[in-house]
Amino acid sequence: MIFLSLLQEGPAQTTAYMIAGYGVIFIVMAIYIFSLWLRWKNLHRDQEMLKSLLPAKTKETESGKERNS
Amino acid sequence: MQAKPKALTYLDIFTAVLMLISVGMVFFYAPMEAVMGNVQRVFYYHVAVGWVGMLSFFAAAIAGILYLKSKDRKWDMFALAAVEIGIVFIFLNIVTGSIWARPIWNTWWTWDPRLTTATIMELIYFAYLMLRQGIEDPDRRARFGAVYVILGFVSVPLTFFSARLFRTIHPVVIGTNQPGAEGQFDMTPKMVHTFLFSLFTFTFVFIDLMWHRLRLGRFADQVEQLKLRLSL
Repeated sequence: MIFLSLLQEGPAQTTAYMIAGYGVIFIVMAIYIFSLWLRWKNLHRDQEMLKSLLPAKTKETESGKERNS
Repeated sequence: MQAKPKALTYLDIFTAVLMLISVGMVFFYAPMEAVMGNVQRVFYYHVAVGWVGMLSFFAAAIAGILYLKSKDRKWDMFALAAVEIGIVFIFLNIVTGSIWARPIWNTWWTWDPRLTTATIMELIYFAYLMLRQGIEDPDRRARFGAVYVILGFVSVPLTFFSARLFRTIHPVVIGTNQPGAEGQFDMTPKMVHTFLFSLFTFTFVFIDLMWHRLRLGRFADQVEQLKLRLSL
């Protein structure tokens, strides 16, 4: 507590709280950056899969049109 | 999806360098505060992350206005990106404040006006994400979201000025301090330099993260378009 600290000769021993504070900041920021990367990677995987399905779908549509005509 | 722009790579590097310098200043350049000790160093990033959070919500409100004017979906994407970043940084602001409060106020948490308004602000923007989840129609979701971020922005100045308007124990960095504030300290020139440099650094962190998040939003939109083409 600050009032108790005033009675001390030197500054209060609060290094552990400083480490905790900066630890939280860097860990949460790292998690957020990782989440951006992970979402990007998942979207890339989805895009590749959808692109591979698209030609098959196009052929399917074209053959359907030919049958109808 | 387009390749990563060179400018973004340069911005990443520049931001990382700024972060390194800023960390160096916090731990080696700024002096230890005479009464509180090392925990006072949390102040530099505690304020900086709060600044990024509020800047994000301001950007979201502007994007909301621009969406309502133009009906362009890019502004909806911008608002979502800004809110997401704002939520992360206001969360950090609240948690670091709590860690700082423990040795100084002798408690992790107190329902002080500043702490309460900051928590309400965080919850308001968290609810924005939930609101979006609940609306399927993209245009309706964007319209409701735009109105929500504009109205939700009221919580930002309320939080900022709460330490000045109400009786609080939260110290004020700029302006007149409350008589009951605990944890107030006089900044030496080196502390001021470190504080201002941290604000400068985190402004770039915000710009960099926004750019990355916007690219992610655009990419998600492209994948969604592909899914639609397949389903037709």
